[in-house]
Amino acid sequence: MRNSAVILLTVLLLVPSVEARAQPSFEQRRQRLIEVVAGERDRSFFTVTAKLVTGKDKEFAIQMLDSLTTDQSIGGMFYSYAAIGSYLRLRDQLPDSLKAKMRNSFRERTMYRGDTENHWVMYYTGLYLAAQTWPNEGRSQWYNGKSSDENFREAEEWLNLWFKTSSTIGQGEFDSPTYFITFITPVLTLYEFASDPVMKRRAQMMADLLFADFAVEHLNGNYCGGHSRDYPEDIMNPLSAPAALWAWLYFGEPQFELWQETRYRPRHRGGWETVFGAMSSYRLPEIIYSIATDRSTPYVHTETKRVRNIIRFGLEKNPPVYKYTYMTRHYALGSLQGGILQPIQQHTWDVTFASDKPYNTIFTLHPFYSGKELAMFFPEEQKFLSDEVDRYHKIYTNPNKWNSSSPFEQTFQHKNTILVLYNIDKGITHPHIDGFFPKNLDERSIDPSGWIFCRMGATYVAFYSLRPYEWIEEEINWRWRSFELMNCIVVEVGSSDEEGPFEQFKRNLQARSPALTGGGRNPTIEYTTRSGDHMKFTFNGPRLLNGKPVNFAEYKFFNGPYLHSERKSGVVTMTYKNHVRELDFDKATIKEWQKLQ
Amino acid sequence: MLRFSLIAVFIAGLCCGVVLHAQQETIYMSVLNSRRHRLGAVDNPTVGLFISTDRGATWRHRGWEYIRAFYAEAGLDGAIWSACGNGVLRSTDGGTTWRITTGWHITEVLKVKVHPQDPLAAYAATAYGIFKTTDGGETWREKNRGFQKPFTSDVVIDRAKGSRLLAATEEGVYRSTNGGDRWVLVGAKNKGVRTIAQDPHDGRAFWIGTENDGLFVSRDEGAAWEPAQSFPKHLTVYAIAFDPSVAGVLYVGTHGGGVYRSLDGGTTWKQCSVGLKNLDVHSLVVVPSNPRIVLAGTLNGGLYRSTDGGSRWEFNSQDEGQVWGLSVR
Repeated sequence: MRNSAVILLTVLLLVPSVEARAQPSFEQRRQRLIEVVAGERDRSFFTVTAKLVTGKDKEFAIQMLDSLTTDQSIGGMFYSYAAIGSYLRLRDQLPDSLKAKMRNSFRERTMYRGDTENHWVMYYTGLYLAAQTWPNEGRSQWYNGKSSDENFREAEEWLNLWFKTSSTIGQGEFDSPTYFITFITPVLTLYEFASDPVMKRRAQMMADLLFADFAVEHLNGNYCGGHSRDYPEDIMNPLSAPAALWAWLYFGEPQFELWQETRYRPRHRGGWETVFGAMSSYRLPEIIYSIATDRSTPYVHTETKRVRNIIRFGLEKNPPVYKYTYMTRHYALGSLQGGILQPIQQHTWDVTFASDKPYNTIFTLHPFYSGKELAMFFPEEQKFLSDEVDRYHKIYTNPNKWNSSSPFEQTFQHKNTILVLYNIDKGITHPHIDGFFPKNLDERSIDPSGWIFCRMGATYVAFYSLRPYEWIEEEINWRWRSFELMNCIVVEVGSSDEEGPFEQFKRNLQARSPALTGGGRNPTIEYTTRSGDHMKFTFNGPRLLNGKPVNFAEYKFFNGPYLHSERKSGVVTMTYKNHVRELDFDKATIKEWQKLQ
Repeated sequence: MLRFSLIAVFIAGLCCGVVLHAQQETIYMSVLNSRRHRLGAVDNPTVGLFISTDRGATWRHRGWEYIRAFYAEAGLDGAIWSACGNGVLRSTDGGTTWRITTGWHITEVLKVKVHPQDPLAAYAATAYGIFKTTDGGETWREKNRGFQKPFTSDVVIDRAKGSRLLAATEEGVYRSTNGGDRWVLVGAKNKGVRTIAQDPHDGRAFWIGTENDGLFVSRDEGAAWEPAQSFPKHLTVYAIAFDPSVAGVLYVGTHGGGVYRSLDGGTTWKQCSVGLKNLDVHSLVVVPSNPRIVLAGTLNGGLYRSTDGGSRWEFNSQDEGQVWGLSVR
């Protein structure tokens, strides 16, 4: 007996999605999105599908689809799932010749599998659905010389492995405001078209998991805190990331129509994958909607992810990533533990403001790069990798970059306070630390006490550097830069809810001065927060909170008021008030019940 | 004296244009990537496998047009095996059609080597270790027992003793004497080994190239290893190739140093990079039917061809391409 106070209204799988509160507006939003995308001229499977579903520009759309079908420049994995998704949705209205051409593309064109987690999800989703669509065909009928049955089994096996990995130790490309779309879009395509009810259910569960994972770190359309990888534009301006459009569609936030806001348009204009969500029969469970939008009570959420596959220079393939997020209605402060967790595009920590203004974030980093870092994750030689990344991703070796992992950066967060320790080796190419401070902050002042006080709306940030720094004015931001190899910053975040007036917040901090002790290779920072908690943090050493060590080994897969999961259990429990939804990935079951009030 | 003789033979070959192998060979070139491919330009928009039957003068693309290809070679039966982004591919019709022989388990395949006597047997060197097939790629088995860390970038099958293998790993060179069932670290300990080659004139001699630690040689079937005499110790070595006709003549492709040549079995070395506009040489092959012709594949500089044993190089093809692998049969 689980609990006499709990009434189990458990129905395996068959619980209908109940977004009663949001359903009407969701319907409006999804219709609007389909209409808008149907009116676009971007050459993509998504615009084509929207046009043909709505009957808009039909002839043009057919021509576009025809040209896409034969366009070899679309990478295999991007082609694979999007093409089959369009085909399955549109096949009743496509001319036979075009349908034959689309079938033929899976016989003749290159379907490159790629080398990242998102590539494989897209590739195997496409392969699975294509093999399902054209079953019982021999090896000569497929681009890879495998039969329908062989392709189906391989894709099914890998997708099930990915579901299992993602629900037990987490994604390697986790919580990315950009790459989120490369997971959720194929998963929803799989959900929509998989004939096997178990695969369909697992896809539904995976969609739930992806959205719940987002929801708990979501604030007004922003995917907050640390994440595995993203582009600088989206790190500086979080609402420009594609995840914001998904947030708008499913969470109803941000509160404005994203596509009409020109300031958010430039880079991802044309990334209309979201329309596959709008056309999907998947409905977000209300509990996830509630988790994403109820910010009435601040909370701490922790979770465990995994480092992307380490193939060299490591003893462990997927060491854990420990993520900590403090969420309020005005801001979120979130962080990863630091170190190299993902090559090239890591974003280790930030403060995100709930604001309609762009550039609603503050963060710091050490702009690290090395061939060895790349060679941990890619098989080519170190020197070649450095040259190659510099060649195609100039930003990687740029001293001014805004995304980076670094072995010389570590964090210790407790609620709305974070300590970020930097201990940079001599001889490193970029021996400085950078901080992003948007120019459109309502206030930014340097206090005689040493604190830098910032305000955006109702959110207050206090930033303290233990060692000297300078300011560099740039187009949209002030760049805080410190050339000290050993430094620590202390960041305290608050809001009018917690602190009252900004001046009160300042006064609470002016008398506090963090102390950096120890030297050599392992500096130690000690600091007592404005809440009275004592934090002591040694680089490569313990993190002590009020004298007690923080033990990462005790981190759950998810742990917070809304999401809970033991590591490696494969069972994820969502809780919102008296609603509970449980995903059991091993059993491929979904349960929902309500606790008695 | 020996050195003088070798040089004399080599020069004689160059001067007289001796054709030592009458039979025309097939050369396989694997192009991993190309800037022009990325930019969608038209002169070499494709990557993947290219084949030449005229000693590298001209090339024909075969198979997939957009596949990241690391290395390809053909077995005794003519079947072509390719290590590429999707795993190990095999073609039994000269590259017209291909089958991906591996599944999701096998990825990041850097080399595939076909057994010299058994065309259905092959070994794949991957980021996750060595995999072996004995049935033409229908099934693959992991062969990692003995490795501390599985990352391997090359594997060589002893052409005389097919059960003896050498593997290039991030921890040094490993040897197996039982077809990969067990591996033992035998040399270049803690050095990142990237490439291995067996001397065609002395089956007991093997050479390895490392990242940042130069070239090593073993003259006792891989049991003991020593740095190659007078070869720059700091260089990264990507490729090793031998003149199949004249013993003691070998070429080494390096990162940043272009091609090095030895005419005396590795005792002395000379940098031979005249004409190379890109000095990151990742692949090399000496054309058996005319060993004066040497091909050098560069990283982002395309393919270069020398007709005088490496003394001068001329650009051949794959402008701005990454010619990752070259082999010949």
